Amino acid sequence: MSEVLDLPTTRQEGWRWADMATLEAAATSAPASPAIDPKTLFLDTLDGPRLTFIDGIFEPAHSRPGPVQVTAIGEATEHPLGRRAAGEGWLLSLDKGAAVPGIQIVHVGSGGENHVPARIELGEDATASVTETFAGSGWANRLTQIVLARGSRLMRSVRLLQTDGFVSIRDEATVAQAASLVSVFLGAGGMGSRIDGEIRLAGEGAYGEMGGALLTRGSQKQEAAVVLRHAEPDGTSRQVWRAVAADMSTASLAARAEVARDAQRTDGEQSLRGLLLNRSATVNLKPELEIFADDVKCAHGATVGELDERALFYLQSRGLPPARARALLTHAFVGDALDRIGEEAVREAFAADADTWLEEAL
Amino acid sequence: MLKIENLHAEIDGKEILKGLSLEVNAGEVHAIMGPNGAGKSTLGYVLGGRPGYEVTAGSVTFAGKDLLDMEADERAAAGLFLGFQYPVEIPGISNVQFLREALNAQRKARGEGPVSGADFLKLARSQADLLGMNQEMLKRPVNVGFSGGEKKRNEMVQMGILGPKFAILDETDSGLDIDALKAVGEGINRIMRAPDKAVLLITHYQRLLDYVQPDKVHVLADGRIVKSGGPELAVDLEREGYAEVAA
Repeated sequence: MSEVLDLPTTRQEGWRWADMATLEAAATSAPASPAIDPKTLFLDTLDGPRLTFIDGIFEPAHSRPGPVQVTAIGEATEHPLGRRAAGEGWLLSLDKGAAVPGIQIVHVGSGGENHVPARIELGEDATASVTETFAGSGWANRLTQIVLARGSRLMRSVRLLQTDGFVSIRDEATVAQAASLVSVFLGAGGMGSRIDGEIRLAGEGAYGEMGGALLTRGSQKQEAAVVLRHAEPDGTSRQVWRAVAADMSTASLAARAEVARDAQRTDGEQSLRGLLLNRSATVNLKPELEIFADDVKCAHGATVGELDERALFYLQSRGLPPARARALLTHAFVGDALDRIGEEAVREAFAADADTWLEEAL
Repeated sequence: MLKIENLHAEIDGKEILKGLSLEVNAGEVHAIMGPNGAGKSTLGYVLGGRPGYEVTAGSVTFAGKDLLDMEADERAAAGLFLGFQYPVEIPGISNVQFLREALNAQRKARGEGPVSGADFLKLARSQADLLGMNQEMLKRPVNVGFSGGEKKRNEMVQMGILGPKFAILDETDSGLDIDALKAVGEGINRIMRAPDKAVLLITHYQRLLDYVQPDKVHVLADGRIVKSGGPELAVDLEREGYAEVAA
């Protein structure tokens, strides 16, 4: 099947934890009519532009795109999954100083494969926030290219809530001088996933962040594979990822930070932590730092463990039932990553999704 | 209220409690004193229901029920409170969230309705004030960055909020300066001195007993109560040492 789809294989180092079997099964799954009402996937508290894609096709009935355009996106990428996302997609292009908060994009799949490209271009000092939600089934494949001009700011939050199938995300971002990109991902559905990203801090004092939480159970596999490149001085980056794995599942985090020779006074932080809810689950962590500048601060840590028995007993001794005590501690563990979301309504919605997952898994 | 008979308990196959018997009635405060390694903390954990502490013989009855048959959270809902010698730090969960959930979980287990957020905050603030704990600390993650004394005050604030029938306080006096000791002692009297409540104070030193007058004092040595008496026994212990008194 790989021959037909021409997909990467797990023999390639960058794809060794990728769940290609689930991706292929999702791609060839028979479409069924989606039982999900897209309306239920929008956060009511945000009144910004809304776009709905059903099986990768724009659905005007459940959309009010505002300044977001639905159009052909023609940018090229070499990425083996990202390059499949060509043709019609969405474009957010903001002029200097413009501000569009509360953009929501909902993707519902019913089976088979669907591909949507997207492009976000923020002019100088423009600001935007975009929240994307994936639901349903099938293989949803996305390429999002992000270009942030000087002083612009983008908050991007993505939650993967498909019941099954596979979601692959490829982000390619360039962040100019004093601009800021914060991307937070939550994998809290039953699908397989690959969150794949590359952020280039291409101007002095740029800020880049890509992190999130992957929650896996059953025989599910989710992974994130991200690279942050510091090309210019005085940049700041954060990679805060949390993985929680139950049952026979696997959550994998590969995060890499690169600091070029000229990127002096870089301030980087990389924190990868895994929590095993059962001994039969797996968390893979691969932290990487590659530093060519000499005046650099790069904090990093990678740990995998289980819930602290002492803390569990402490909570239980105050009256919390064991399942609730485990959920609270796990919630707190995941909280580090989700707290990076700037908008309160989005942060709370993501935390609630994580809680729903925890209640089902524990 | 609490009746322990011939209790034997072990950790990792090593017997720590070797036939301990003790009865505490409603309205009483008992102190258990003893040298390091006597089994004082083990007794607290066994009564609290900590996993890993295996009871091999004996029985514990609490308010007419078999305590050993209950999970730790069920014991709490039944009115038992264990004050920890080393309260655990829990990053990412605020004191307020933790205690409100705990209180409402206990109430639910007892078939009572939940306490509203506003009512809970009022209760938490008044208890923090009475214990001299900074209000800000209620919002902070449980015990994270607290000094030893602040952790012990927080245990007492928790006890005040949860309102147990029976408190087992494991070395609540350790790590306290004199002001904190006084505040904690007053807290124990205020919260637990009532005809329908009782306290088991586990302590190494006599100094907390200056503030909380025990009705009975027991000496625990090598997993058994070797001597019992009135408050004067604590004074004798302090003066003569465990070896002398327990011999």
